[in-house]
Amino acid sequence: MSSRSFRSVFMVASCAGAALGCYLVSLRVASERASLEDVETQIVLAQRDMRLLQTEIGTRGRLSQLERWNAGAFALSAPTADQFLKGGFELARLAQPERKVDFQAPVVLAAAPAPARQMPIGEPETEDSGVAASVAPNALLHEASLKIETREVPARSVVALPQTTAKSTDNPALAAKPVPLKSVAKPGLAAAQSSIKKLQKSTAAATAKKPPEKMVDKPAAVAAKPVTKPIRIAKIDPLAPLPAKHSGHSKDSTAAR
Amino acid sequence: MNAPSPALVAPRPERLRLVGQRRQLLAVMHQRLMFGMLVYAGIVAIIALRILYLAAFGDHAGRKTGLTALIPERGDIVDRNGDPLARTIDAWTIAVHPTKVIGDKLALAQQLARLMPEQSEEQYFALLKSGKPFFYLRRRASPALVEAVNALGEPGLAIEREPDRLYPQTTLAAHVLGYTDIDGHGVAGMERAFDKYLSDPATRADPLTLSIDSRVQQALEHELLDAMTKFSAIGAAGVVMDVHTGEVLAMTSLPEINPNIPGAASPDARFNRATQGVYELGSTFKPFTVAMAMDSGTIKSFGQQYNCPNVLPAYGHLVHDTHPFGRICTVAEIMEESSNIGTAQIADQLGTERQKYWLGKMGFLGPVPIELKERGRALTPGSRWGPFETMTVGFGQGIAVAPLQLAMGYATLFNGGVYHPPTLLKISATHPLTKGKRVFSEDTSYRMRALLRLVVMKGTGRKADAPGYRVGGKTGTAQKIIDGRYSQSINITSFAGVFPMDDPRYVIVAMLDAPKATKDTYGFTTAGWNVAPVVSGTISRIAPMLGVQPDRNREPDMSQVLPFVHDTKE
Repeated sequence: MSSRSFRSVFMVASCAGAALGCYLVSLRVASERASLEDVETQIVLAQRDMRLLQTEIGTRGRLSQLERWNAGAFALSAPTADQFLKGGFELARLAQPERKVDFQAPVVLAAAPAPARQMPIGEPETEDSGVAASVAPNALLHEASLKIETREVPARSVVALPQTTAKSTDNPALAAKPVPLKSVAKPGLAAAQSSIKKLQKSTAAATAKKPPEKMVDKPAAVAAKPVTKPIRIAKIDPLAPLPAKHSGHSKDSTAAR
Repeated sequence: MNAPSPALVAPRPERLRLVGQRRQLLAVMHQRLMFGMLVYAGIVAIIALRILYLAAFGDHAGRKTGLTALIPERGDIVDRNGDPLARTIDAWTIAVHPTKVIGDKLALAQQLARLMPEQSEEQYFALLKSGKPFFYLRRRASPALVEAVNALGEPGLAIEREPDRLYPQTTLAAHVLGYTDIDGHGVAGMERAFDKYLSDPATRADPLTLSIDSRVQQALEHELLDAMTKFSAIGAAGVVMDVHTGEVLAMTSLPEINPNIPGAASPDARFNRATQGVYELGSTFKPFTVAMAMDSGTIKSFGQQYNCPNVLPAYGHLVHDTHPFGRICTVAEIMEESSNIGTAQIADQLGTERQKYWLGKMGFLGPVPIELKERGRALTPGSRWGPFETMTVGFGQGIAVAPLQLAMGYATLFNGGVYHPPTLLKISATHPLTKGKRVFSEDTSYRMRALLRLVVMKGTGRKADAPGYRVGGKTGTAQKIIDGRYSQSINITSFAGVFPMDDPRYVIVAMLDAPKATKDTYGFTTAGWNVAPVVSGTISRIAPMLGVQPDRNREPDMSQVLPFVHDTKE
């Protein structure tokens, strides 16, 4: 009874409810769309602002203005052709350390071994024990390789002969005396150039003792070569560039050759 | 309604008549009511349906239209890298409605004169008293000024935002860009040539992309301006062009104008010397003559010899040289020392008809082929083109072309011999490269490289060399025509260069109008002294940007020319 009589009411209510629901959906859609549009509008406004700011920056930093600043303050110029590299290899070449002849450091070292070598042999009671230890292997190396050769080429090269003989037997006794004197003088002076000259002068004075000092300065390889090919080396120049890289002593030796 | 019940008693006839009348009346009333109700219901239904429709599909009240995309009032112009060259922005405008001013006009005039001193107090006062409805006081006003004017609180002052054309780079490429009038329509340059594209709402959202590279443009303008000031020239022009596509990377005409205030420029400054002005460009024409002769077969090798006396009598005239040989010389030497006498003989061998044919093919006999509306037309001897004129045209006199045409000619000669019309629009998908037409043979194009490199290595163009960039080119010094006569002292100097010469990619043309001699040039006003350094300076600046790798060990095949040069200097 009640359901029957209220049927129409229910119908109306459900219809109204459905319509309301539909309306709510569309309202929701519309509000979503509105907020989306707000965002879009904000984006456009932001773009417009960006455009304005970009224009302002571009105008303030225009190329002619940069050019003016460059002329007045920076003074930058276009790179020259030499400032361009073709690849990694050229770049690596730039990083190669430059070899310089440093007159301060190497001379002290060059002077040091000379006394040290004789100390262990001639005079056992020296102050510098550390220096002596470092020189000992050098002297040994020369002795071992050079001895045989001296006999094979007796009169050929003036330089080669005394060098090799130096360490063998004759020198120790003779050389012992002058060298220690110099060694004492050098540390006190500590002036590289002058010490070299003095050394050279002193060695020149004592002609007999000069050869052994040269031997020490030369690299082992240079000394070794004349051993294997005694006659040819004296004639061939190609060795000249090698000693040229080193200090004054080696130049002396090439001149002697 | 209440229908009358059947009468038990027969009514009186007058009453019966009454009942009948009432019934009729009622029926009419019912009809009218029904009609009214239907109309009312219909209106309600329409409104309801409309509301429903709007709820479902309609716009809402707060919707803002026209802001969904950023479309400027007028399209942007950008360079090939996308840097803006012209933009439309909203600028503040200060105006006044004199009739609406309610405050004291004299006090207002005083305040306006204090804020905007471009007019005096009296002028402002006269303006306010004039009774006219509207005046612009300041367009493109700064925000600070707008704030100050707004603070005056006068309702008669109108402060509005208006679209305004702004050229952020000011004078850069001004002759290419052109400018607009006060209503925003292009009246010069690309603004004029592409006015429709830039103002059409359908297309203006996309910027107009030019082939100009602003950095190259700046370098060229700066170097040219320096030279122009240094040599007190009255004008200058320059073009940088891509050899293979015909794209103009930079084009300038000096004196410069500022397109933001075009009204301030003189008519001379507005004149585009690069496209409108035609000049006799002198010796820069000689390579064309040699190339034509090579293609025709009259020159077989650069070692071919010509007699070069000190003065050459020809067809009743005398041809002179600035540095006469006075001996037999080769084609290579003729070009190296820029000999008129030698080139005249080559042109004479070539003949008038063939010369005309080739110049026509290269586009030298017609208007300048470019998008700009400001373009000149080459001047030729026309009907007087006889054998002597052929000779003079051969070394660049008697024919006047625009600097852009000269650049175009060099591009044709050195890109393998193919002509591409020059363009100011970037070559892209929307503007594809058109198929060129062949003018010179590839072999001629290849062999000419060494010849022009020789001019810069050893000849008149030595000052144009940019170390490592293999510049080749030719100087040109022509006497300026003043009142129909060749001036003996005033020159137009030009240089046309191509780099890198072992694989040409760019051509550069620079021109100075009436340069004066300075101490540095030892009194010379020839091209080798004033324009060539411009080219050198510009190339060393722009070549790295354009991706040309400098290399001191690369050169074109110089074995073509070097054996034929008799070096007397070394």
